[in-house]
Amino acid sequence: MAERPEDLNLPNAVITRIIKEALPDGVNISKEARSAISRAASVFVLYATSCANNFAMKGKRKTLNASDVLSAMEEMEFQRFITPLKEALEAYRREQKGKKEASEQKKKDKDRKTDSEEQDKSRDEDNDEDEERLEEEEQNEEEEVDN
Amino acid sequence: MAAVTTGNGAPREEEGSGGESAAPQPQAPPNASGTRLSRLPLARVKALVKADPDVTLAGQEAIFILARAAELFVETIAKDAYCCAQQGKRKTLQRRDLDNAIEAVDEFAFLEGTLD
Repeated sequence: MAERPEDLNLPNAVITRIIKEALPDGVNISKEARSAISRAASVFVLYATSCANNFAMKGKRKTLNASDVLSAMEEMEFQRFITPLKEALEAYRREQKGKKEASEQKKKDKDRKTDSEEQDKSRDEDNDEDEERLEEEEQNEEEEVDN
Repeated sequence: MAAVTTGNGAPREEEGSGGESAAPQPQAPPNASGTRLSRLPLARVKALVKADPDVTLAGQEAIFILARAAELFVETIAKDAYCCAQQGKRKTLQRRDLDNAIEAVDEFAFLEGTLD
């Protein structure tokens, strides 16, 4: 269990991959440096969250939104992140929209499917009920015999 | 697979916890369009956000941008630290390179005293 927020580390493998891709080929990173960068990333998220939350509170909102985070980046003097983040946000929104449409389509198909399935099911249920009644009658007979 | 890019909790976290050793994990399958949206698992980022007692709720987009910003941050600090290592003609980034970068770059001031 995490004792402090900074202990909520991001996965080492992912951090390592990001670092390696940022650096030229052949450059390595020591375990201490990598774990320090990982902690720094966690601290960054916590700090950014806190800044973003201030903007949300100023706007009298209880939910952090994307623009709060972007404002936080500016406040933290990471303006250089703002453009790539905006682009990433656009791409993310497009993907979410695509997924939503896909799941809505799936739902429509499913509804159509369950309607026809329900019709079959009701026929089956009638048969099952008959079987249960038969079994109960048999049990009653057995009890009488025991007595 | 959409789940990969949005950092759907279960599969991503398993990869991360399995990769504690030095051996790098095989790269996750890229997004169909070729652009990866985010590598960091959104669930972990969300856990960090929730650790802040002042935060009530955070929208999905906010979590996503924070994850992406954290990635950019890692790239940035790694590159800045590398400049110091390069000056020392070393090919391995050391902890002290990071400390130097933090001291040298104003934007990293918030990190001072937090990494110990």
